[in-house]
Amino acid sequence: MKLTRRNFIAAVIGGVAGIQATPLPWKLTDDVAIWTQNWPWVPVPPTGEFAEVSSVCNLCPGGCGIAVKKVDERAIKIEGRTDYPVNPGGICPVGMGGLQLLYDESLRFTGPMKRAGLRGAGQFTEISWGEAFDIVAGRISTLRKKGMPEAIAAVDGNPEGTTVSALIKRLMRAMGSPNYVRPPSITDTYRMGNLLMQGTLSPMAYDLENSDYVLSFGAGLLEGWGAPGRVMNAWGMWHDGNPSKRKTRIVQVESRASNTASKADMWVAPRPGTDGALALGLAHVIIKSGQYDARFVAEHSSGFDDWRSLEGTTHTGFKRLVLEKYSPEQVAKITGVNPKTIVSLAKGFASAKAPVAVYGKGKDSLNGSLYEFMAVQSLNALVGSINRSGGVLLPDPIPLSNLPILKVDAIASEGLKKPRLDQAGTMRYPFTDSLINNFTDAINNSPKSPVDTLLVFSANPFFTLPDGGGFKNALEKIPFIVSFSPYRDETANMADLILPDCTYLEKINDTVWPTGLQYPLYGLSKPVVEPLYNTRNTGDVVIELSRAIGESVGAGFPWENFEEALQARAKGLFDAGGGLVSYDSDAPAWQRKTAGKGPKPGYKSFDEMWEEMQSGGMWYRPVSSPKSWKGLFNTPSGKFEFSSKLIAQAIEDYSNKISKKAALKNMSLAAIDDEACMAHYEAPKAGADSSAYPLRMLPYEMMNLASGWIPSPPFLYKTIFENQLLKDKSFAAVNPKTAAKYNLKEGELVAVKSPVGELQVRINLFEGAMPGIVYLPLGFGHTAYDEFLKGKGVNPNNIVQAGQDPISGYPVWWNTPVKLVKV
Amino acid sequence: MKKGNDHGKHKYGMVIDIDKCTGCGTCMVACAAENNVSVRADQSDKERTITWMRLYKISNGKEFPHTEVSYFPRPCMHCDHHPPCVSVCVATATKLDFNTGIVSQIYTRCIGCRYCQAACPYGARYFNWWDAFPQDKGMDRYLTPEVSPRMRGVVEKCTFCHHRLMRAKTLAYAEDRRELEEGEYVTACTEACPAQAITFGDLNNPEHEVSKLIKHPFTFRLLERIGTEPKVYYHSSRDWVRKLGDNFLPGEYTPVVNKTWAEEEWSTKPGRDEF
Amino acid sequence: MKDPVNSSKKSSAKGGDVSSPSGFFPRWMNINIIAQDVGFFILGLIGASIVGWVIFPAVLYSKHPQPINFNHALHLDSEKVDGIEGETKAEKCLSCHVFRDDGTFAGIPKLEKCTECHDDPESPLGETPQEKAFMTKYVADDKEIPWFVYSKQPDCVYFPHIAHVKMGNIDCTTCHGDFADNEKLPLYVKNRLTGYSMNIWGERISGFYWNKKFSDRMKMDDCARCHTEKGQEQNNACFVCHK
Repeated sequence: MKLTRRNFIAAVIGGVAGIQATPLPWKLTDDVAIWTQNWPWVPVPPTGEFAEVSSVCNLCPGGCGIAVKKVDERAIKIEGRTDYPVNPGGICPVGMGGLQLLYDESLRFTGPMKRAGLRGAGQFTEISWGEAFDIVAGRISTLRKKGMPEAIAAVDGNPEGTTVSALIKRLMRAMGSPNYVRPPSITDTYRMGNLLMQGTLSPMAYDLENSDYVLSFGAGLLEGWGAPGRVMNAWGMWHDGNPSKRKTRIVQVESRASNTASKADMWVAPRPGTDGALALGLAHVIIKSGQYDARFVAEHSSGFDDWRSLEGTTHTGFKRLVLEKYSPEQVAKITGVNPKTIVSLAKGFASAKAPVAVYGKGKDSLNGSLYEFMAVQSLNALVGSINRSGGVLLPDPIPLSNLPILKVDAIASEGLKKPRLDQAGTMRYPFTDSLINNFTDAINNSPKSPVDTLLVFSANPFFTLPDGGGFKNALEKIPFIVSFSPYRDETANMADLILPDCTYLEKINDTVWPTGLQYPLYGLSKPVVEPLYNTRNTGDVVIELSRAIGESVGAGFPWENFEEALQARAKGLFDAGGGLVSYDSDAPAWQRKTAGKGPKPGYKSFDEMWEEMQSGGMWYRPVSSPKSWKGLFNTPSGKFEFSSKLIAQAIEDYSNKISKKAALKNMSLAAIDDEACMAHYEAPKAGADSSAYPLRMLPYEMMNLASGWIPSPPFLYKTIFENQLLKDKSFAAVNPKTAAKYNLKEGELVAVKSPVGELQVRINLFEGAMPGIVYLPLGFGHTAYDEFLKGKGVNPNNIVQAGQDPISGYPVWWNTPVKLVKV
Repeated sequence: MKKGNDHGKHKYGMVIDIDKCTGCGTCMVACAAENNVSVRADQSDKERTITWMRLYKISNGKEFPHTEVSYFPRPCMHCDHHPPCVSVCVATATKLDFNTGIVSQIYTRCIGCRYCQAACPYGARYFNWWDAFPQDKGMDRYLTPEVSPRMRGVVEKCTFCHHRLMRAKTLAYAEDRRELEEGEYVTACTEACPAQAITFGDLNNPEHEVSKLIKHPFTFRLLERIGTEPKVYYHSSRDWVRKLGDNFLPGEYTPVVNKTWAEEEWSTKPGRDEF
Repeated sequence: MKDPVNSSKKSSAKGGDVSSPSGFFPRWMNINIIAQDVGFFILGLIGASIVGWVIFPAVLYSKHPQPINFNHALHLDSEKVDGIEGETKAEKCLSCHVFRDDGTFAGIPKLEKCTECHDDPESPLGETPQEKAFMTKYVADDKEIPWFVYSKQPDCVYFPHIAHVKMGNIDCTTCHGDFADNEKLPLYVKNRLTGYSMNIWGERISGFYWNKKFSDRMKMDDCARCHTEKGQEQNNACFVCHK
């Protein structure tokens, strides 16, 4: 039979009819519909068993307690711990986004690496840990054999007092190099000021939660000062929903309407760098009105009234200095603050029950000025808020054991005799531990870098130092750089060798006494997840490196691993007794308990304590009652010194060595004699002609942007406003009046020019900016990391022209002369 | 006409205390981390960046040095009365659940027409212009299985962390309970706020803190007069902040001064202008 | 190019056919031809049925044996296996398919559960080659078994077992069918187009069920139907089952 066209059509019709009675068209339609609802490229997060691991955040020295949520082996969310004394429940946005710093692979080094491309290009090839150790140890051993161990230098950004920092210091000493420097921090200023005025070495302890009047001189309470989780928690407590129940007044002294300034009960805006003068103005009003704590001043202070020395010369006291030079009218001229405001502020402060004046400069990651701190601390002393509940407490230092005494060999002891490159601790900077700006200059000013090998730990000085790009130039000169950073930061990109650390969620580490906390706290973080990559805890690496160098260096590190070293130091916490290792949120650590009432430690042995610390992550002692006055102040006079005898002695010693004039010049001092020993105001030397550079540039910090060595988690860029960053341009906040002067409109592109460089930004007209000041946000302008962070905005540090703070020598980063030029 | 959904069992809502709010942005980050919200290289274009919880910066507009800034953290308002997004949705992808008061959003049902986005008076809805997750960076490792990652071409918004409600219910069932205690179900932003500025709870339960707080004279809502009955309330002792909660014509806004019924319990001390 | 000669020929021949005066009825009503048409129509019908009912399902679904066989019947014998407790089947199921403390359902047990008994890779408890394979391939290497999950729902679905099993008193078998007496795991049948398990859409390719059982299918309609039937209509709000 022949298949005709007609037959065929019949069969097709039959087929079409027949197929209707089968599931094919219907099921196919349904399946296709479902298929279009499939997005195979959209990840489906695997589920599993939910768990929560407690640890401590290490992203800033604040050390908040964190609870990391996990699904099987994956960490999926970081939350604040309610069972941790520092931050009952909350953490800052940086800590909240921490998992991106763990899991964003392009931010991280995945193993030890050797530089493959040009410096700064970020091209590396992976090597083995053995090879990496061979390279560093070989280089160090060669330098030591040549008798020049001082050519090894280290920049250590780990918070002071942490065990890894102690080990790094120890390694430097064991190798024989004095050139151990740290990036500046506000704690340096606190330490020096407290040493000079109180003779104490314990950390700054502001009893904020118990205060009823917090007068903050520049401390960015809501910008990340101290432990952000603690301060913001206190902020919530201070602002009861019912205003009549609010017990604490908050006053912010700052030139810009920051979050703290706006949210405070009162905002006072002096010119940048004149906070000290304002504090002295308050002191003037308080002294004149007799509102000061006469008992404290008489019994526990020295240098308040004029006094006669043994030789018979009359010395000016604090009282006379303040009364003569800092009347509200005089201060108004310096600061631009209305004299009436100064008077009412002083009255309010002095009549509060437990006032406290807090000193700071934004976050705690940049230094302050010594005399400003002394002025603020003098104010605390005047109202008797030193060693008083709700004021400044003077707790004992944290009782960590000292590491065993280090025996150094002949090479090392020769090396340690060599002068430090940064001159810290010399007669010129007698009280300073470390001056990284001088270190940078020493390298940049010599034809050949005096540093052969630079070790960089937990720091990104290339980006974070307010030095106009000086450190970057120094890096280019240093022959060999080793970075221990887990992140591909700017400094690491300049390095020749990377020995990557684990991130804070992959390792055991400690935090020691968060900045400004009023009670001793030791936090212990633990690995929340197994290390994702071939990285090692720098604590372990330092110990291993010492072994690889061998000789007496290795002998100085008798611990099997980092955890043993941690235990060795924590032994002291057990020996001291009385420390708590768990926290009950109903008994806040800042709340004073009647003696014998508070919670008691439950552990019997060190091992028991350590085990509990590993699970709980903490050792602390609840806030103590004010201490007995006897022997409290370890100053030459045995009292709180309005006029520091140590400064007087240092100036005298230095003047005896070189001329007095030269000594004062070298110490960057304008004041002389008695005034130089007390809190006073000195106008910073103008770095440039004010007609050429009529404006001042002030970098400012934000809570929601990391400006230190830790990169910002990409999530944080969601919180940045479009008038702070737009595409690749960041904004300068300028008062509309200032902008009008230069005919600048919102969003307009300008160059901010300082004597050392220029930056292109857009203009943001902001009423809350002080006229005449250009405010640039810190934390933008990365040239490293990945597409989330790179090339966004500019880094104001690159145009900072920093003078030297008198006596301390720290960079005065808040006084850069600039001009605005339309692009 | 009856307003709101009084017939439902629960009506979850929140009160945000603007006095406590520090503008730190932790709520935004917590929200993004909790809800698998996408991250892109350029997040400065706020019309393209997805932020279920978003801070709006406000200012009193006064000259230096009397300037003040503040923030309105803005999640989805979960409007209780004819949510504008729900009535316009052609695909029934968004609905108001009368049992919880939560306005849902089902991504697999959304057709991406963005009508709801246009309808929302609060700008709380976001469109996925791109696929969310960079493929090769390992950033999908922190995604939570509790929230479905979205695909390009759909609209998403704050869900009051309804998966946390599921989680709380599941736990309650495991403990042989059917009802939740106050505080068992709170959103991620509530929990994360380091200043405890956010209070979350059941507005239908008079025992819950939120039910008490919304009666306070300092409490207000954003664009209250358009009548969508948002379930997100704000609280501020500063008049200028409250005034910015709606577009008042001159003379329309009446400052809160000593509401008599509350005089005993709630003092309305002057703001800091009189400090 | 068309050949004008041929095409004209063809058309003329055709035209000749139509106009042929061979009977009263037009040629197309010729009974033979109709029979032929019907024949071909039925042929097409049969062909389509074969394609639709036989070939299509065969092509649509791919069949996968589980990585190893698991004998439910054997493991549910509480005399042979420690830890199997309970009287009812559901209770027995829950011995291994546990609820965690937080109320979440663990689903298929992890290897850890297996190694509670099968702890030594060197000495299997039974004699089957399946167990031997299990020991050498998974226990020895501490590797999880990549099971195919018959009732895996898409990511947008939230299904709390505890609300159904514990609070709703629904037996496991109601949705999953009875596995208790199974000695051999069924093949995992996957829809090539959608990627979902056949158990979701239902085993009957027709989609028709005269005697509706919940274990037949697991689509959204089925969830809603059950909620409605059980008087839980309020649970048909989107966010009850979607995430």
